[in-house]
Amino acid sequence: MTVALESWKALGTSVHVLATQADGLGPATSAVSEVLADVDTAYSRFRGDSELSRLNANPGRSVRVSPLLATAIDAAQRAARLTDGAVDPTIGQAIRVAGYDDDFSRVAAQAGPLTLRACRVPGWQAIRFDRRARTVLLPAGVELDLGSTGKALAADLAARAALAAAGSGGVLVSLGGDIAMAGTPPSGGWRIHIAEDSRVSPDADGEVICLPSGGVATSSTMVRRWTRGAAVLHHIIDPQTSLPATGPFRTVTVAAATCLDANIASTAAIVRGEGAIDWLLSWRLPARLVENDGTIHYIGRWPDPSGVAA
Amino acid sequence: MDSLTPTQRDRGLERLRRLTFGATAGALVAVVGVSYVAAASYAGTSSANASATAAETTTTTTTTDSSSSSTSSSNSLQPSTQAPTTGSSGSGTVTSGGS
Repeated sequence: MTVALESWKALGTSVHVLATQADGLGPATSAVSEVLADVDTAYSRFRGDSELSRLNANPGRSVRVSPLLATAIDAAQRAARLTDGAVDPTIGQAIRVAGYDDDFSRVAAQAGPLTLRACRVPGWQAIRFDRRARTVLLPAGVELDLGSTGKALAADLAARAALAAAGSGGVLVSLGGDIAMAGTPPSGGWRIHIAEDSRVSPDADGEVICLPSGGVATSSTMVRRWTRGAAVLHHIIDPQTSLPATGPFRTVTVAAATCLDANIASTAAIVRGEGAIDWLLSWRLPARLVENDGTIHYIGRWPDPSGVAA
Repeated sequence: MDSLTPTQRDRGLERLRRLTFGATAGALVAVVGVSYVAAASYAGTSSANASATAAETTTTTTTTDSSSSSTSSSNSLQPSTQAPTTGSSGSGTVTSGGS
């Protein structure tokens, strides 16, 4: 089956929209663009005029937020709850202090040394969020970063909007390697190349899986890295220390019912480190984990290309 | 044992009828009470929230409408309905990687 594809850049990353019906690609692409524009306005950390930036700039005040930002905060709090705080939206200040304080294309790859202090982030329980009234109050010292769950949520929303716009068939939306599928898949499912960097060509050598629905997400310490002095830093912050995670796994890919759940699990696995495999198994999530030395683990129902289950 | 007079028997039967009625009424009250406590303790509390959320969703944009089910209030991470398979078939390859 021929699948139609459109690609562009948004939210500081690559966007790919695939549709099983060529005449549905145009409407699907427009729908995805609209969702991403809404997301950028609602919860970009790098736009001074975004709702999230205004919220972070007004601690101690109750702020009424849009339905989309409320949904994103709700998703982030759920992620924190389900991961016992391993994926926590209150890492905003920690990641900014670590040097990731602008769109990544403008973050200096190398600069002088930083002095970072290991301490817990404030924690998601500090957020005063009234879901029904859609009001949020951040105590002083609490800054939100919805980057992890926010992108995956955007992929899910975009896929749903794309399918509605296309009218029939199936669609796949990839935001920087966070993938959401909706509708009727192509025969045999969607082919997904698994890599450590989403910029790797899908035609490159490597492992490929097929999935008919749901979501796939990969979290990796091998991308969005920068150097301060002799220290190499990356974007996955451990809420226990406010520092980049230092566990045994450098890349984790998870398949789940939604891209959001896949992303929550893959990010949490990087942060949890040693206990990640047991934790993923407890959720019955298929996953592929790459250790820092390159050793690969296939767990749950993730297919082992060698044919031997891990 | 002395046999009962008709009057005594009628009084006894009347007393038994009252006891039966009282026991039935008491049981009904107990059932209603226990049901109320159970409803208040479990799903009954969240049903009010659910209806409020649904009402709110209908007043928001399409984006929000679709988002409500994506995030869900599920208390677990949901596995996909089908497990991934090795990619010997399928169409439309994309890359999942860190970004």
